[in-house]
Order: sequence, then C-alpha cells, then structure tokens
Amino acid sequence: MHKFAHISDIHLGAFRDPVIRDLEKQVLSETIEKCIELSVDFVLISGDIFHVGIPDLSVVNDSIRIFRKLQEAKIPLYAIYGSHDYTPNGTSIIDILETAGILTNVMRARTDDEGYVVLDFFTDPKTGAKITGISARKVGLESKVYEKLDKERLEHEKGFKIFAFHSGITELKPAFLSDMETVPISCFPKGFDYYAGGHIHKKSESDLPGYSKIVFPGPLFTGYGKDIEDTARGVKRGFYVVSFAEKVSEIKFVTIKGFDGEFFEYDATGKNSHEAAKELSHKLGELEVNGKVVIVRLKGELAGGKTSDIDSVELCRKLTSKGAIYVQFNKFSLTTKEYEGNRMGGDDISTIEDNYFRENIGSVKVNQPHLKGREGAESAKELLRILRQQQKIGETKTGYQDRITTSGIETLKISEELGTK
Amino acid sequence: MSKDELEIVGQVIGGNVAGIAIREKNGKNIELGDLLVAEENEGGYLILKVFNLGYGSQIPTEVRELAAGLKLEGYSAGLDFMDPKLRNYTMASVKGILRLDKNSQKIPKVLPTFFSSVRLATKEDLAFLATPPKYPIFLGQVRSGSKILDIDVHLDGESFITHHVLIAATTGRGKSNLVKVLLWSALDARKFGMFVIDAHDEYYGRSGVGLKDHQNAKSSLKYYSPDAPPGANTLVINLKALEPEYFDGIVSFTDAQEDAISAYYRKYKKDWIENIVRGIVIEDLEVTRKTIGVLQRKLRRALGVYEQGGELICDSDIFSLTAGETTADDIVWALEKCQTVVVDTSRLGEEAELLIGSIVASKLFYSYKKSKGKGQLDEKPPVGVVIEEAPRVLAEDKIEQGDNIYSRIAREGRKFKVGLIAITQLASVIPTTILTNMNTKIILGNEMASERAAIMNSAAQDLSDEDRTIASLDKGEAIVSSIFAKFALPIYTPRFEDFVAKRKKNNKDDDFDLSKSRLSVK
Repeated sequence: MHKFAHISDIHLGAFRDPVIRDLEKQVLSETIEKCIELSVDFVLISGDIFHVGIPDLSVVNDSIRIFRKLQEAKIPLYAIYGSHDYTPNGTSIIDILETAGILTNVMRARTDDEGYVVLDFFTDPKTGAKITGISARKVGLESKVYEKLDKERLEHEKGFKIFAFHSGITELKPAFLSDMETVPISCFPKGFDYYAGGHIHKKSESDLPGYSKIVFPGPLFTGYGKDIEDTARGVKRGFYVVSFAEKVSEIKFVTIKGFDGEFFEYDATGKNSHEAAKELSHKLGELEVNGKVVIVRLKGELAGGKTSDIDSVELCRKLTSKGAIYVQFNKFSLTTKEYEGNRMGGDDISTIEDNYFRENIGSVKVNQPHLKGREGAESAKELLRILRQQQKIGETKTGYQDRITTSGIETLKISEELGTK
Repeated sequence: MSKDELEIVGQVIGGNVAGIAIREKNGKNIELGDLLVAEENEGGYLILKVFNLGYGSQIPTEVRELAAGLKLEGYSAGLDFMDPKLRNYTMASVKGILRLDKNSQKIPKVLPTFFSSVRLATKEDLAFLATPPKYPIFLGQVRSGSKILDIDVHLDGESFITHHVLIAATTGRGKSNLVKVLLWSALDARKFGMFVIDAHDEYYGRSGVGLKDHQNAKSSLKYYSPDAPPGANTLVINLKALEPEYFDGIVSFTDAQEDAISAYYRKYKKDWIENIVRGIVIEDLEVTRKTIGVLQRKLRRALGVYEQGGELICDSDIFSLTAGETTADDIVWALEKCQTVVVDTSRLGEEAELLIGSIVASKLFYSYKKSKGKGQLDEKPPVGVVIEEAPRVLAEDKIEQGDNIYSRIAREGRKFKVGLIAITQLASVIPTTILTNMNTKIILGNEMASERAAIMNSAAQDLSDEDRTIASLDKGEAIVSSIFAKFALPIYTPRFEDFVAKRKKNNKDDDFDLSKSRLSVK
C-alpha cells in the first residue's frame, strides 16, 4: 500500500502582517513534518504555492528551507502552477524551484499536429503512480486548454492515475463562488483514480458520473480575508492523505491547526454610530482573546452617524492589549442611512472588486472582445493584482516600472495595439 | 410576377361576409387554405382565404344521377355533358381576412365587388409581412394552401415570448421541428433567454444537426445533460438548493406533510431535506412518526435520498449531496444574459423532469419579480420557458391539486417578462383561462375535433371556419393565430436540416461549418 499527500492553495506571502506570516510559515512547516511523520511516498501540490508569481525573497527562502526537509526525507514534491503562481512574463518562482530541484512540475503538455493538447504522464518512480494535470493559466485561457485536450489518450492509459488541476469545476462550484469562471467536468478525462484539485478555497470530496474522487483540500492556511475569517469560525484546514494500491483505498483529511481563532459578528442595524461603538466595545471586552487571532465582522445599517465613527483602530488596540495576537476588522457589510453613495455589495475586498468590475465593465468602451463582459472584468481584476505588487528588494525603479508595465500589457493583451510586440 | 400567378382563378358570385361564394375557373384547382386577392379601386385589394370547397353544377341533381347511372351501367359509354367546363365547376367559400390600400391594413368590413375576379395572392400582395420586427423570431414562410410563398414570417420576439405561446398538434405534424427552428432563430437574435426542458434530447443535436451547430452556440447556448458530451455541463442539482415550493404541483403532499415540510424548512433552511431524511425530531411540532416516514419515502422516490447506517446517501442521477450547488443559479444567470439553455431530461422520470423545470422556472420567475420590485426589470431580457407535454402541469386537474410555477407564469409571467412556450397534443385539458392567456397559438395539423375546438375557441382571431383547414394541415404546415398579427397566418415551417443548410449557404461571411462544430470530439 502506498500513500501520498495532496495539498493545495498554500498562498505563501499572502499577508504582510508579520504575525500571520509567522503562522503561515509555521503551518507549512507543521504540514511537511506531518507528511514525513506519516511516511507518504510523495507530496502533490495542486497549485498556488505562493500568493504571487514572484514573491518576496524572504518568503521564498523560508519555503525552500521547509521544502528541503522533504528532500532530506527522500519524499519527492510534485506540483502544478496555480493561478497565483502564473506570471504573464513567463518565468515564475515555481520554475526556479524546479530548476533548483526542490519540486517537479508534473504538467507536461505539447500540442499535436491537429492542434490538440497532449499531456504526458509523469510516473512516480517509487509507487508507479502516473500523474498528469493542467496548470492554471491566465484568466480564460485554461478553459481553452481543456477544450482542446486529447482526453482519449489519457483515458486509455493503464495504471493508477492522478489528474492534478487548478480550476473550479462547474458542477462542484460552491455557492459563494457562483460567479467564478469554471470548467465543466465533461472537459476532464474520465476514469482517473484521483482528481487532485486546487483553486477552490473550500474542502470537498465528490463523485460525478464517470469521475470518482474529485478532491479539493481547500487552502492550507489562508489566501484571502474570507479564509482567515472562516478559520476563525472553526473551519478545519489541512491536507489529504490518500492511500492506494491499484485503486484508492482511503482518503483521510489531516487537520493542521494554524491558530486559535475567535470570530465575533456584530449587527449594528437600528443603532447610531456612537451607540454601536459603545456596545461593540463592551461586547468585545467580554471576549476571551488571549493568544488568539480575532476576526470582528460588522454588519447592518446604522441609523445615524458614519461607519468611521466606529474606531476600529482603537478597538483593535483594546483587543491586542488583552492578548490577541492578530485582529482583523471587516466593515464591508456595514452601511449607514446617512451615506447614500454607491454601495457595492460583498463581504470581503475580493468580492467587492468582483462586483464592482462586473457592474461597471459595460461603461468601458473598448473594441477588443476579450476586454468586455465577464472576461474583461476578470482581466481588470488581474490587472489590479499586478498593480498591487510592490518593488522588490534590489529592484531598480525602472526595472519595477518595466515589470509592472509589461505584466499589465500582457494581461490586457494589448501589445499589438501599443506596437510593443 | 409571372403571368400564371396573376391569372384569374375565380369570380365572386354571391354569399355574405361569413362566406363569400366564388366559382372556380376550370382547371385552377383552388385549395383549402389558399389566399386569394380581389382587387379594388385605386390599388386597394382584399385578401380572401378559402375555408371550404364544394361542387357546383347547372344540371339538376336528378339528371346528374341519371347520367352517372347510364355511364356506370354501360348503357352509354360515350355519354358526356355538353360544355362540361361551363356546366360543372368547383365552388369555393372564402372569407375576407385583410383589406389593404396604400396607407392601411384593416380587418375587412366590406365585401369584394360583386362579380369581381379573384386571383391567387402573390409575394407582392403580402409584401407588408416581409418587414421583420425589431427582434424577429422566424416561424416559417407564408403558405397559400399547399403553395409556399417566398415571404418569411417573423413575430417580434419580445412580445411573442412574454405573451405566451401554445404549440398544438398531434404526433408527427412537426412540433419539434418548429421548436428547433424557433430556438435557432432565438440564437440568431440573442435578445432573449430561452429555457428548454428537452424531454427527448432532440434540440441540442447530440447525434445530428441541432442547436449546437449554430454560429452563436459557443457564446449563447448552454447544454445540461446527465451524460454531458465534452464541453457541456453535467446536469446535477444539490439537495440544499431545493426549496419546498419547487415541489408544488409536481409531488403531492397532504396538508399534514406540507405543515411538516414548512416547519423543517423554517428551522433548518437549506438543510430541511437532510433533517427530514435523518428523522430529526422538531420539538413542539405536532407531526407523527408516520407522517415523517411517508415524507422520507416520497423524498427518496423523488430525489433518491435516504439514510443508511447513519450516512446520508443520494443515488439519484441528477440530485446530489455534494455537487450542483450553483447549477440552477448558473442557468438563470445564463438566461438573463440572453442565452438559450437546453436541459436534457430524456433519461429522467417524469417527476424528476418536472422538478428540474420547476426549480429553474421558480428561481427565474422570482428573480424577475424581485427585479420589478426594485425597478430593474427593464434591464432584463424576456425569457421563454419551453415545456413539452404541457398538460402534465397545466391540465385542469393538475391545477386543481394546487398552483404550480407553470400556471403562475401563464397567469402572471407577462408582467415580469417571463413567458411560457407550451407544447401539447391535448389543448382541451388546459383550462380556458390559461389557454386564453396564450396569446399566440401555433396550430399544426390535428385530426381530433375536440382538440381543434379547444384551440379555435381560444384563438386570437375568429377561426370558427378553419376547422376543416386545420384538420387538413400537412406536416410542417401551420396556422399562427396571434394578437400580434392582423390575421391568422398560414405558414410552412421548413425542415430544420434544410433550414440550417440554407442559413449556412446564405451566411457567407462566417466560418460556419457543421463538420467543425465546437464540440466535435477527436
């Protein structure tokens, strides 16, 4: 009997806060140590090891130090690109890690004479497991790869087969990701023994006709504000250990406890801002927060005053003084009657950005079809992600500008129009 | 215009507004359903429609009977009438259906000039039909008797869809073909959403020419099937996405069972099914174990869900405990984006099929209703819900058992831009109140008198004289009676495969190629 670990969506470097960064490192370290302790034959990461394609060097350095423990234990690490690992420029940190021998990218694709995408299997030398898969690409492109995939060849291959992917599956899309671009299961090759999914930040194990054991471990720690909020609410994080011989015999979720969390939700409806601030302060004072990550979510409509009257900085300080190691205030669902401006719904920044771009993309007048509608909104969101990237240590200002500009042009696919191709 | 087309075919010799008598010119073979023209002064003309044919003769009946006897019994083999073309002839009963002059088209309130000549209607006479409306839906070409005139018949999609459509015919008269053509046309326009519950898996074109071959299919056609071909979506719906009202009119519950369902839904929201199946007891709820037991059996039969050894199991082909959380929402989203969504229910039982339709139709209807409440309905496109064998949900006895989403759409959908396109062989079992709300009726051939009567009695135009015409409609021939047409239009809907081939030929600018369909598999 063999076994492997299936991890996804680690999102190293997603948070700038040093406390969360330390927790992130700690969770990865604990995960790798658990894999070694469980004597898995290999580890498979189905995308998004890092939060950005070219992360901070300190994050890379820490991760290499942890991943090397696998090498020392002679446990190979396999991976595919996630949507966050992808860079429009071409070279991602994943390629560098592969070159350095830290991991092996198991997506081996080529295009045949008829334009079909042919995937070759990578065979794990110890177990004989045959692994292939499709990495995430820039928005909209991976679905084209699936449409042109030579599935027949993959389906005819004998042996224990794993298909790794980093995409949402239309039929398995969770309700909170209803707007996400996904790929129908009919585009996947049938008959694999295990479908190792990534990209969906919710743990699930499913079967669909012709496709058994479609598994998403969800984020190992956290990639977005919603993840940390869900963890604080008590959602379990971790990875899967899959036992197999000729077929999968057991799938077991291994929980990794990242932190003690406290989630507190406060509905301010009907109160004015000062009443709400006072009551909230009192209620937060009653919480036991020592050593915990505390997430406070405010919602409802204030009867008067401004949302900024609720001084989250002060409340944060109060919680920290009681021993909270990290405090996050979420006021996106709090509104006030006095403010009649443009309210964009959503529980977190990512959702609000989604909604904003989707609702306003129609007002942008462009000729390129790929910059209109849903695809246009996704491109805008991707561009925003690029624009958020900071200058790297040692990177010149000109180099930084060039990197951001090139990435932006690549993302919008407008190099021809600009004559830069 | 050829000389033949303008040739006189008869002459008005009597009658009244309800039936104008025309003597046929010998050898002209006026047909039932023919459109004739009687010209008036200053370029005006009346369009007449033939609703009955009979013999006329100048020779008394006794003489004709005797002559036939002599001939049949061999007394006079060479016996014939003197000037037979003059003495024996065909009489056509016609009715004025439209009066046109340079400025207007009106329902005629006058008779054609006595003794005036009539000719067959030509393409030019009906040119006013050739201008397509803003968002055209193609139904076929104008037909005069069995002759097809080269004039396309379109109705405005927006009003046509939202005012409900009834497509009535017996088997084999071309209902499915007509719906395919109609849906193809909707894909051309991309101005409406169309939700199609495809009980025979015949519209998408899994194994032949179908909607998948439309040049807009990639962007505007979604196909759901329990056995989805590559690129299509697997039809799977999560049990948590089901609300009690989706079962209205589909699965029958007693009052006690309905009370129990309401209580479980109030307490457990989206987990109401799971808690009933697990037999979780709600305190203070006066419901017997027996009621819960019956509910568990009904849910197992309808959804395939049951508990075994503490584990919840769902062995349905389409309902799931883990997958399909967003399927219904995805379909509604696609409809709101003017897409056509075809759901293959050919492998499902009737209850499951109707339930799927009910889930989507309910979500759509209430989403549009909500939009109207917010003043946002103008931003939404009209959506048509196509349902086959409509009496399964619209028959009088079904509605008496309780309202369902289809009857609700038939009654209220127009206000919210949601229309029903109901296909049936048995219009007579649908209540008159609903039939009357179906403001367009596409009537194909039907040999059952009771069915013809039900349709004629609720049509937008007076079809009381069309009984024989409807009975004689051949495959592909139809009469369109609509509040959006001045008169009941006789049409011929081309065979779908021919229609597609013609479109392909005409569409020289695109790379349309059936052999390179987007879902062709290597």
